[in-house]
Amino acid sequence: MDKLELDQIFSLAISREIEAYEFYGKVSASVDNIEVKKVFDQLAKEEMEHQTILEKLKADPQSSMNLNTHLQDYKVAEATELPRLSTDMKPVEAIKLAMKKEQISVEFYLSLWEKATDPEIKKIFSRLRDMEMAHKQQLENIFVEIGYPEVF
Amino acid sequence: MAGLAASLGSGAMTNDIPGIKSSDVILIIGSDTTSAHPVIGSRIKYVVRHQNVKLIVIDPKKIDIADYATIYARQRCGSDVAVLNGIMHLIIKNNWYDKEYVEERCEGFEDLKKVVSEYTPQKVEKLSGIPEKQLQEIAQLFGTAPTASLYYAMGITQHTTGTDNVWSTANLQMLCGNLGKEGGGVNPLRGQCNVQGACDMGALPNVYPGYQKVIDETARQKFEKAWGKKLPEKVGLTVTEMLKAADEGKVKALYIMGENPVLSDPDINHVRKSLEKLDLLVVQDIFMTETAEFADVVFPASSFAEKDGLYTNTERRVQRLRKAVKSPGKSKEDWVILQKLANAMGSDWNYKTACDIQDEICSLTPQYGGITWDRVDEEGLQWPCPTKEHPGTPFLHKGKFARGKGLMKGIEFKEPNELPCKEYPITLTTGRVLQQFHTGTMSRKSQGLNNLAGPMVMISVQDAETIGVSNGEKVKVISRRGEIEAPAFVTKRIGKGTVFVPFHYREAAANLLTNPAVDPVSKIPEYKVCAVKIAKA
Repeated sequence: MDKLELDQIFSLAISREIEAYEFYGKVSASVDNIEVKKVFDQLAKEEMEHQTILEKLKADPQSSMNLNTHLQDYKVAEATELPRLSTDMKPVEAIKLAMKKEQISVEFYLSLWEKATDPEIKKIFSRLRDMEMAHKQQLENIFVEIGYPEVF
Repeated sequence: MAGLAASLGSGAMTNDIPGIKSSDVILIIGSDTTSAHPVIGSRIKYVVRHQNVKLIVIDPKKIDIADYATIYARQRCGSDVAVLNGIMHLIIKNNWYDKEYVEERCEGFEDLKKVVSEYTPQKVEKLSGIPEKQLQEIAQLFGTAPTASLYYAMGITQHTTGTDNVWSTANLQMLCGNLGKEGGGVNPLRGQCNVQGACDMGALPNVYPGYQKVIDETARQKFEKAWGKKLPEKVGLTVTEMLKAADEGKVKALYIMGENPVLSDPDINHVRKSLEKLDLLVVQDIFMTETAEFADVVFPASSFAEKDGLYTNTERRVQRLRKAVKSPGKSKEDWVILQKLANAMGSDWNYKTACDIQDEICSLTPQYGGITWDRVDEEGLQWPCPTKEHPGTPFLHKGKFARGKGLMKGIEFKEPNELPCKEYPITLTTGRVLQQFHTGTMSRKSQGLNNLAGPMVMISVQDAETIGVSNGEKVKVISRRGEIEAPAFVTKRIGKGTVFVPFHYREAAANLLTNPAVDPVSKIPEYKVCAVKIAKA
C-alpha cells in the first residue's frame, strides 16, 4: 500500500466527517427545539473529534485509534425509517436522523472493506467502520431510551 | 400510570425484579406487597434479612411486610401527596437531594421546591397523622441512601388524586437521582400478571399496540394497511365511562373478557343496573362469574395451563406460557374464540397458532420488534427490544428519560372525594389478601383457600369496642351506596377510624360500598377511600 493511496482514503474519510459536521451544524441552526439543538450540537462536536482522530491517523497510520472493539450491532437504525428533516423536529426524530446517517457511514466503510484486497487497507477500513459503528451504537442506545414512550 | 407517563415518558416499572438486590433503601407506599405481589415481596424480605437493605413502609394498615421495616409509618388514607411532599421538603431543606442529577436531567425543580416548601413536618402531621419525628427519620434514611427504590401499587393509583400521587413518587425519585440506575426506580406493581401486556397491546381506548395513538393519522394508516380495515378516528371509552354510557343507553352492547365488573367495579348496584340496560352482553371467561350471570352469551375460555402464548409482567418482561393440559369441554383459547367470531362476522382472519400472532406483534409494535417467539425462552425479554439483535432493556431511563428531561412538578395535596362525616364517620379502604385473587373467579373455586381466608372487616380495637363487637362477630358496614355484613377481624394493625374490607367476596362485596368518583386523568375510581358507618350486625 503506498502513501498516496493511504492519503486518499483518509482524505475521503475526513471529508465525510467535515460534511457531517457541517450538516449537523446547519440542522442545529434551523431547528426550534432547544433539546434538539443540543443533540445536533453534540453530534457536530463529535464529528469534529472524529476529524481530529482521522487527521492524526493520516499523519501516522500506525498510531492507535483507541477504539472500542467489542461493538455489538443491534441494528436499531436499520429497523427505523429515515425521518423528514424539518424545523419543528422532536428530539427523538433528531436521534433517528443521526443514527440513520451513522448507519450509512458504517455501510459505506463496510462496502469499501469488502472491495479492498490489500490487507493493510482492509484493516484501515475496518477501523473506520468501527469508529462509525461506535457512534451508531451510542445513538441507538439513546434512541432506545427515548424512542418508545409509554404514554396513553 | 398517567403521572409517570407525563413526568418520565413511560408508565411502566422503570427497573427489574433482579435489581431489588442492588438497592440500599426500599420504600413501599400503597402496596401490600406480600399479599398482592408475593414473589416481589419475598425478594424484598430476602434482601432486608440477608443484605442489610433498609425498608420503609408507609401504609394505613400495618401490613405483613411492615414487620421487616426499619420504619413503618401509618398515614391517613388518601394523604399520600402530603406525605411525599413532606419527605421532599426535608430532603431539599437538608440538601440531601442530588443537585447534579436534577440540574442535568430534570426540569421544573423550582416549581417543585416552591410547593413542597409549604409542607413542613408539622403541617404533614396534621394532614396525614405521621408524627413529625418519624417523617424526619424517613426523609433522612431515604434522602441519604446511595441508591433507593420506590414500590407502589393500587394504594397509590386508586384515588381521585391517583395521577398526583404517582407524579409525586416520580418527583421524589428524580429529586434523589434514583432513576436510570440499577436498584433504583419508580416501580408500579401491576395488579394482574398481564396487565402490562394488555396495555402494551393497545387494550386501551386511545392507542394501538406500542402506544401508537389512534388519533395519529400515520399510525392509523399503518394499522389499516396491516389489518385491511378502516379504523375509527376517535378515541374510545374507558371501562368506567362504558358502564356510565350503558346506563345512559348510549352503549348498547358490551364484550367482556376475563373481567368481573360486578365485583371489581365501584358501586356494584350501579354496575348491575348498567349491565341490565344493555341489548347484548357477551362474557368470555374460564368460569361462570357474577358478571357472566348477566350475559346473553358466555364463551368458555381456556385457562393459563391450557394455552400457549406470551404475557408481559410488571417489569416489562415478556415470558412464555406453555400448554400443559387440554382445555375441558368446549372451551377454547381466547384468540381462537375471537377469530371464529370475527370470521363469522365476515372477516378472514387466518392465524394458525399464537406464534403467528406474535409475528404480527413484532411487525407492528416497534418496542416488541425483536421479541420473537423463539427468543422468549426461559428468562424472557424486556422491552424496549426493537430488533432481533437487541438484548432487551432491564431498566429504563439510563441515560435519558423517554420525554427528554424528567418533568418535576409541584403538586398540592387534595382531599379524597368522600370524607368521613357525622353520618358516615369511618373511612373504608379496600384491597386484597394473600389467599385470594381479585374477584375470586379462580381462587374462590378452591375450598381450601376459602377455609384459609373468608370475608372479613378489619377493624381497630378501639372501634370494635365502641360498637361492641369481638373477633369473629358480624359487623355491618354501610356507605351511601350499599351495605354488607362480614365477620370482624379485630386488630391493632389498623388505626382507629379506618376499616379494611377485601374485595374478593360476592357474599360481602366491598364494592357495594365504594365510591365511583374517578381520577380526572386516569379515570381510575377511588377504591381506597370512602366514608362508611359500622354497627354490630
